[in-house]
Amino acid sequence: MGPFQTPWLTFFAWVVIAGTILMAIAWSILGFRKREDR
Amino acid sequence: MSEIGIYILVLALYTLLLVGIGVIASKRMKNSEDFYLGGRSVGPWVTSLSFVAAYFSSVVIIGGGGFGYRFGMSSIWVGAANVLIGVALAWMVLGRRIRLFTARLGTMTVPGFLAERFKAKEARVFAALVISLFLIIYNVSILKGMGHAFEGLMGIPYIWAVLLSGAIIILYVSLGGYLAVVWTGFFQAWVMGFGLILLTFASLKAVGGLTAANAALQAMSPGLVNTPGEWGWAGLISYSMIVSFGVWGMPQLTVRFYSIKSVSVLRVGTVVATIGGSMAVLPYLNGAIARVLHPELANADLAIPTLTKAVLSPWGGAIFLAGVIAAGMSTFASVLIITSGAVVRDVVQKGLGRQLEEHQVVRYSRLVSTLVGIVSLAIALRPPALVLVLTAFSWAAISSTCLWPMLFGLYWKRATRWGVLSSMGLGLASALIWIGIGSPYGLHGFIPGILISLLALVLVSLFTKRLPDDHLARVFGEQ
Repeated sequence: MGPFQTPWLTFFAWVVIAGTILMAIAWSILGFRKREDR
Repeated sequence: MSEIGIYILVLALYTLLLVGIGVIASKRMKNSEDFYLGGRSVGPWVTSLSFVAAYFSSVVIIGGGGFGYRFGMSSIWVGAANVLIGVALAWMVLGRRIRLFTARLGTMTVPGFLAERFKAKEARVFAALVISLFLIIYNVSILKGMGHAFEGLMGIPYIWAVLLSGAIIILYVSLGGYLAVVWTGFFQAWVMGFGLILLTFASLKAVGGLTAANAALQAMSPGLVNTPGEWGWAGLISYSMIVSFGVWGMPQLTVRFYSIKSVSVLRVGTVVATIGGSMAVLPYLNGAIARVLHPELANADLAIPTLTKAVLSPWGGAIFLAGVIAAGMSTFASVLIITSGAVVRDVVQKGLGRQLEEHQVVRYSRLVSTLVGIVSLAIALRPPALVLVLTAFSWAAISSTCLWPMLFGLYWKRATRWGVLSSMGLGLASALIWIGIGSPYGLHGFIPGILISLLALVLVSLFTKRLPDDHLARVFGEQ
């Protein structure tokens, strides 16, 4: 069992949501450094 | 103040605000690009939150709660797929290129993009007809969802509820066009999010926290907390794919990228949309909590309305109802404007070759969005019994037609006119046939539809003549 008595495989869905938000933040910082508008 | 009085007050204020936005937006409208794309001048916050509002309709909130109720906590995975594939990846993969390509090609609609990108005028009319026909079906189910929410929480008769909410949307869309749609959508996303968060806090408190909810569900049946649990892998994966990857082919969502001010909008927009989109998980979570608090419900779709009445005060309930109505209205409004564009620009102007002045385009667009709204309303007054089945049917049909041509149009130079035409035709046909023969193996028509349209696009393109190099260079910005 993971946190809040959630089975690990179900808990991982929450991790995916949090990870997606972090990925979006990282993309918007890193992805736009290299590019310029055309 | 009586409970009904509170509901009426909150909803009346809310309606006034929406119509006010419609009137203000109508004053800023000068030509058809303003009507359809807000003059390509929309910033990151409005674009991203109106995307979220158009994505999550009342059907998702009420139906998502129903899934959470029936299948339990593993439904959280559907919400996770919505955030990852339906929002974050859609913005990263589609956003930048759609904005750049459609501006270079001078197109305002999805059928228009397909026609110009692949030099295929047949694609324009075909896509426009598929989009307008199947989005009307989607509209009907959205109205039905709102009607039932009004009916369940306020006791207003279904027919009045549908007429009232339909009339308000038609008014502000025909007045204010796309700008009214995105600005109301922006506002509606806040109402929706606030309503959902309010409900989540109250229901978690009522159940004694997430740990207690999980323990109670585990005691009922381990399938309600395990993954895939009651869903089974096939059900969980195929449903998650329809409601998240399917978005990539839905024009009322991809059009958001046409209208942004510049590609730099995507920088903030992607983050805001992803954070806003993460509220997709809340209806599923609340549905699962409703299973603990009200295990006796005969119809799972009553999970969210029942929970709302049980855990929220009348003021909270009114705000939550406004959120559900907001979710329905913003999606309906977005669909209305897309259908009107498909009919006026793609079928009448380009397909039938009618020459129209700018002011005529705006006038006809207003007229068509009103008419489409009225037709949807008329069907929704006596909806076909299978309206929820028809919703999934309409998503499957539109995605099977538009998803790959759009994606390959942005990334693959080798895609040809015939590749795209065969992908659209075979994708639609296979989705419809699969559903028509009763969706064998429990697999939704969306899956064979997108698989066959993918195969057709790649194989036919490889064996047919590629598009001229100068055309590709122009589209891909290499000139």
